[in-house]
Amino acid sequence: MTISTAPVSEPVAADTPPAPARRPPRPGRAREWWLGAALVLPALVLAVLFKLVPLVRGVVTSTESSSGFGGSEFAGADNYTRMFDDPMVLTSFRNALLVVATLPVWIVLPLVLALLIHQRSPGWKFFRAVYFVPYTIAPIVVGIMFRQILAPDGPLNALLRSVGLQPLAIEWLNGRYSALFSLVAVALWSFFGLGVMTYLAGLATIPEETLEAAYLDGAGFFRRLWSVVVPMLRPTVAYWSVLCASGVLIWLFPLIYALTQGGPGDATMLPEYLVFLTTFQFLDRGYGSAIGIALFVFVAVLSIFSVRHMFTEGTRKPR
Amino acid sequence: MNPRHSARIGRYLLTFALVVVAVAAVYPLLFTVVSSLKTQAGFAHDPLGLPAGITLENYLEAFRRMNMPRLLLNSLITTLGGLVLSVLAALLVAYAVTKLRFRGGKIVFLLIIVTLTIPSQAIIYPLYQTVLDLGMSGQYQGLILAYAAFGLPLGTYQLAGYFQQVPDELIEAARVDGAGHLTILFRLLAPIATPALAALAIFNFVWMWNDLLLPLVIMGGSDSKTLMVGVSLLSGQYDVSVPLVSAGLIVALLPVLVIYLVFQRQLVSGALAGSGK
Repeated sequence: MTISTAPVSEPVAADTPPAPARRPPRPGRAREWWLGAALVLPALVLAVLFKLVPLVRGVVTSTESSSGFGGSEFAGADNYTRMFDDPMVLTSFRNALLVVATLPVWIVLPLVLALLIHQRSPGWKFFRAVYFVPYTIAPIVVGIMFRQILAPDGPLNALLRSVGLQPLAIEWLNGRYSALFSLVAVALWSFFGLGVMTYLAGLATIPEETLEAAYLDGAGFFRRLWSVVVPMLRPTVAYWSVLCASGVLIWLFPLIYALTQGGPGDATMLPEYLVFLTTFQFLDRGYGSAIGIALFVFVAVLSIFSVRHMFTEGTRKPR
Repeated sequence: MNPRHSARIGRYLLTFALVVVAVAAVYPLLFTVVSSLKTQAGFAHDPLGLPAGITLENYLEAFRRMNMPRLLLNSLITTLGGLVLSVLAALLVAYAVTKLRFRGGKIVFLLIIVTLTIPSQAIIYPLYQTVLDLGMSGQYQGLILAYAAFGLPLGTYQLAGYFQQVPDELIEAARVDGAGHLTILFRLLAPIATPALAALAIFNFVWMWNDLLLPLVIMGGSDSKTLMVGVSLLSGQYDVSVPLVSAGLIVALLPVLVIYLVFQRQLVSGALAGSGK
């Protein structure tokens, strides 16, 4: 709370003499700089204190060998070389790549649903409201909920058996690949509504007249979709794609925590869960930090495009 | 098959697809509600069907076990604190970067949105160390400040994008009329950006209320732990029955669901406003 008071006190001083600010341009400009500096201060303090400082400390800790409650000593790149020989770490990053490979589904499925809703068939507002409901439920709650839904004798398998799909009624959370598949499917269940909402917002910016004109020119439904709607929706698709790319791994943590704990074996072990496990359960802080830094690099590479996109969006002058 | 006929079949298929997804979206929730109303024996006897008789005992027991009022209060304080602080800080940066002649503004903007690439999971131990060093472990302000920092990049980006659309002439005119910068920001720009602010507030409320890792690590087992930490602990106890856990889950998800249903209109219009480029 102390931080937020800084900018409030500053502008009072900046406000009192408004008249002489006009004549000599330079002091006014300098004062505007000081005002700007004061305004960005709280955000800078937050970003530095809770993001950059921990990141730097993480890098430092990752070069130390420290475990248990004992002290720590400098270990150079040992923790990093150790990762390459650790099957758990390698599996976790391979699983992360598998998850990233599902990104097209994350991008296309909400788009299709948004397009269906956008047809404005009866009750479309109801569907729009209902699709967002899963997103409002906390991932940890979602995870615990789906532990029941996906249980061997749970409602999903009961449904599959009742419609004659007996062979599909498997132990969803207990197979080498079915566990990771279930995890991603539950995550998708939990987040698709946000995507639908984002796409609907983008669709709303397409003028009716444009579609009308294409319709009058004889363009069929799919032609209109492909030649008019999709190109005009590109910024929204880009925005949602970058959000998914930088978020998909992060969103999985509470689900792993509640659903699989990384198992069976290491089938659903992902880097973000491994960092948590190594640091707080095995108390191997140096190694945990090294895996954390590797995860940071992985996410940073994935989301570098989103940052570039956001930077140009935020600094571009309109028209 | 005339085209009119096939168009009608298309409509039916479309509605059918929408209904299937809607059922998939709400069924897990309904299942949890139904389970929470069963007695333990009733659930063991028939886990999938409707309850023979409705009991509220699970809710009372969940309240007793979890010290629910305290958890709700903790979640409310930290979420609102983080939300207000994060939006306020983002508002100030967005104004400085887009509407002031402020050298270095672009670098500050870049620095803040770059922190989006630092996930809490990657730096969780050093973050915990830092909060500990600040003497804020197990304290409300520790979690509030961390929430604010993690909500900052997206908020700054959204508000900056919004302010960018406001013509500079409008600001100039207000300046000539003698308005100070803070007056312009809070009396002129903030009202214009209300849809974006509302959407941002709801978005922040949802993720801060629902977050697990930050409160788990910063609050730990202290009395200030949030509702989600309480829920995660509840599900770990082995003597806890499915109906009891279900009741705990419903209590945990209800506040956000209610907020969403109440502010649904603002969320939609805010999402619309945010993408208008």
